Amino acid sequence: MNVILGGGDMGKTTILDALALLFSPTNGTTVSETDYWQRDTDQEFVIEATVSLPESAGIENQRRMAYPWHWDDKQAVLPTGADGEEVEVGAPVYVIRVRGTTDLEPSWEVVQPDGVIDHLSVGVRRQIGLVRLSSDERNDRDLRLVYGSALDRLLADQGFRARIGKEMAKVPLDKELGQESRKALTSLSDKMGKNRLPTGLTLGLTSGQGPSIGSLIGLLAQHQGKDIPLSSWGAGTRRMAALEVASTTAGNASPTTIDEIERGLEPYRLRKLIGILESTKGQVFLTTHSAVAIACVGQQGHLWYLDGKGNIGHLPAAKIEVQQRRDPETFLAKLAVVGEGKTEVGLLNFLLGKAFNGNPLDEGVRICDGQGSSAVLDLLETFAEANLECAGLVDDEGEKLGRWKALKATMGDRLLQWPKVATEGFIITAIPDEKLEELVENDEEGLTGYRMRSLAERLGIEAKDWSSIKAALTAKQKSLKALIIEAATGATDGASDKDKKAWKKHAQNWFKRDGGGEELAAKMVSLGAWPKVKDTILPLINAILAAVDRSSITGLPT
Amino acid sequence: MSDDDVARLLRSDAPLVVIEAPAGCGKTYQGAGYAKDCATAEQRGRLLVLAHTHAACGVFRERTRGTGSKVEIKTVASLAVEIASAYHIPLELPHQVEAWARMGGEGGFDAVAQKCANFLTRHRMIACALARRYPVVICDEHQDCTADQHAILMALHASGVKLRVFTDPLQRIYTGKTSKEAKTDAARWEALKAQGAHAVLDFPHRWRTGSLELGKWVLEARAALLNGQPVVIPAKRPVGLNVIVANNQAKARAQLQLDNRKPVDHVMMGGDQILVLTASNEMADAITAFTNRRVGVWEGHTRDALTALVDVLQSKNGDAEAVAGALVAFVGGVGVGFSMSTHGTRLMEEIKDGCCKPTKGKPACIQDMAKAILAEPNHVGASKALKLLKDFIEQKQNGFDTVKIDYRAEFGEAVRLGAFPTPEDGLGEMMRRRAHFRRALPDRVVSTIHKAKGLECRNAMLIPCDSGFGNTYYSRCRLYVALSRASDTLTLVVPSSGGSPLLKIE
Repeated sequence: MNVILGGGDMGKTTILDALALLFSPTNGTTVSETDYWQRDTDQEFVIEATVSLPESAGIENQRRMAYPWHWDDKQAVLPTGADGEEVEVGAPVYVIRVRGTTDLEPSWEVVQPDGVIDHLSVGVRRQIGLVRLSSDERNDRDLRLVYGSALDRLLADQGFRARIGKEMAKVPLDKELGQESRKALTSLSDKMGKNRLPTGLTLGLTSGQGPSIGSLIGLLAQHQGKDIPLSSWGAGTRRMAALEVASTTAGNASPTTIDEIERGLEPYRLRKLIGILESTKGQVFLTTHSAVAIACVGQQGHLWYLDGKGNIGHLPAAKIEVQQRRDPETFLAKLAVVGEGKTEVGLLNFLLGKAFNGNPLDEGVRICDGQGSSAVLDLLETFAEANLECAGLVDDEGEKLGRWKALKATMGDRLLQWPKVATEGFIITAIPDEKLEELVENDEEGLTGYRMRSLAERLGIEAKDWSSIKAALTAKQKSLKALIIEAATGATDGASDKDKKAWKKHAQNWFKRDGGGEELAAKMVSLGAWPKVKDTILPLINAILAAVDRSSITGLPT
Repeated sequence: MSDDDVARLLRSDAPLVVIEAPAGCGKTYQGAGYAKDCATAEQRGRLLVLAHTHAACGVFRERTRGTGSKVEIKTVASLAVEIASAYHIPLELPHQVEAWARMGGEGGFDAVAQKCANFLTRHRMIACALARRYPVVICDEHQDCTADQHAILMALHASGVKLRVFTDPLQRIYTGKTSKEAKTDAARWEALKAQGAHAVLDFPHRWRTGSLELGKWVLEARAALLNGQPVVIPAKRPVGLNVIVANNQAKARAQLQLDNRKPVDHVMMGGDQILVLTASNEMADAITAFTNRRVGVWEGHTRDALTALVDVLQSKNGDAEAVAGALVAFVGGVGVGFSMSTHGTRLMEEIKDGCCKPTKGKPACIQDMAKAILAEPNHVGASKALKLLKDFIEQKQNGFDTVKIDYRAEFGEAVRLGAFPTPEDGLGEMMRRRAHFRRALPDRVVSTIHKAKGLECRNAMLIPCDSGFGNTYYSRCRLYVALSRASDTLTLVVPSSGGSPLLKIE
């Protein structure tokens, strides 16, 4: 099961459409100029896939033999090996593709190992039997007897349509005609006879250019004693029923595409459906906008992320599992901006809110809490390895220096790691000394007292008024700024063993809390620290703006 | 074993069935019947018939008409070429494997088969994919399989192909001539028999409409040849079997001049049909000359002279002298009266001098040919020159009235070469056409035994039936192939003394 994630308009559904065209069960499928890159129909497009097919697909039975390629776990390669040595039997793979020609015709092809191109027959595509659940409201194709539909393959009765046609032709329709109408028919017959045209006219069903008899036949189910077409049920039921039809077909290993899997399904049914899909034999490709859906993708599923530049990359479960469960929306954004903790998230909220002059999420930029340095490192590395765009803001804790350095080299300005300090340290350092008391103040949330106490505790004094604190600082030859930074970051240097825990918690009353980062950021601006820090911060902000095609800024809009 | 038993065995679930099938005992009938049954049965995939010659493919194609795409018929060599083409990159072969193999003659196709056999054995997935396409494979004339071709078959069989093998060890005339090679093949044959179910066809169907007595005698002859004994021609000849004693008194090699010509002429010219069989191409040419070209040469599917011509045209493109030289050699190969001494020297002179001398008569004609080659010193020019030559011969131009073309089809194909982008393309395309359009056997024709293998006719003559058929396994096979072609009459022309040790005439 492959779950394709990413922001809106990034091309998730396009991937499913491409699969649908590649496996199209008819030759009647048309392509239009909007299927071509920038509507330039002079340039062909190619959708190519390397596939391992069950014997039932019958690809070996095309007019010309289709020869298999060797699969090296990454791609189709030519089978090689030194003379005499037997090569391990691997699943043969075939390279198939559909080409949109400059005549706006789709051309289905098999690429042979020598590069020769053969036609990929509609029979093979029909046997592959892609099950397609699009987000189209009225889509019930697989519940009807259309050529190549799931129901068609389930019944697998080639002569059925012809027999039905015969039966239908026997129905004496003109018996139902009124007296006058029958007379009209008779007189037409007479008149035709006089003009030496065919006579003996009656009414019957005839097939024309329109839909085939098969497409008029679909599954019915009992509802309160009446037969109701399954296609009249709710969207969720229709989709689950179509999947059931497909999976009931003997030996079925059809690929399935599902657009917006959450459509029409309540969270409990969605969880159940994903569970079923994870265990099916055929490959499943689905898109989703649902955090519930992402959160319940288990070990059998693969997450693929489509970034703002149209790159698609695999996100290995082990590395992103935590983030996947805690903040699945990370993977639904055009650009995920990962902050190390609450302070960084708040700071980013404030800064990006200003930079975007509104909620950055409106532009698909999601600010997520990475919950700690090493988790963020894993996550960012995963994105980087998959060649996907994302951004990050982290402290420098002096650990895993090599990995961070490599990541920085890949991400450039999209990664900001404060130089050798934590966020609080960097920003508070830039606040003028005379404004420090204002920094401490937060009476709205009643935190001023707690903060003063944390300072006093660190100085080993009881009194928590400014004069006592300052006196103690003078005695210890320590600056107020340094003390505040220690308290705000929960530093434990110099704490006795029994105090360590309490000192660490100090940070939660400063900026490591919900809203704390925003407070720090707002004070950074209002207390005049911005001019000192902007050269460090602006490259990150501008890199994020650039990723969503916004122009860069030189300062914060007020 | 009765025909019905054989039919049942073929249709059984046995993974390998080996049928020993003497000539004319209904092998093709059994094979084609089985193929047709397989085609109509509701089963996946296709049945593949592998033969060795395009002629045999043609016969099978005719007998399985109406089976559509359910039956595919090709030669083992072309299957190997097809597989090798698909994987020519890892096999380190050029893109056009068939052309490459053809240019290498027999050795070329052997190399392809060897690479292909090795590749299939190593890459089971390819053999398995082929097995899905061809769940059943019939191999016709297995005795003509080389070791590598046999390995290809066995690789398919090991991947699940149901294999039906028809073979006649006594019609083994294409693979190695030495007794060592014959022994290897015999061991392979015994191993194959031991591996699967085995049966022998033993009713001479071919002779049912002709002389059944002759048919039975041919089967007896076969048994004798297999057992290393001479073939007895009884004093009371079976109906249809004639022996004419006549000696070839020609001084030169590859000429025929009989002391007792009348009865031979009578058989050759008297009836409405005759297939004259002889051992070598040279003797076939001599016989057609002997009959004043009233008996033409059966060209079969091989085109030795044309292949040699194409080889030069391909490699010496632009070299007018080389083109002219190859052209003279080619015409010498397909006919008589046109050689270096009669026409070639003058042609080469004209090419060297740039056709500057004013001439008339025969030299003018040769100059026209030279001009065509000089204007386009490649296959197009050669083709135009040959077309001119064809016209000169037909118009009986002075100096060309003695030129006779015996291999008319081959000559015609050379004339058509010019229409293709390269000579190799042309040769390949004409090979394909030849493979698909089977020419009917002319009423009066002389053929080598090799080219006649697989053919059948009412009347045949083997000439000369002399010591050329020595006491070797290879000669026994050749003799048997020759004896088993005709259904009504068979005439053996034997010398009065020093005849073949394989014949005991009573």
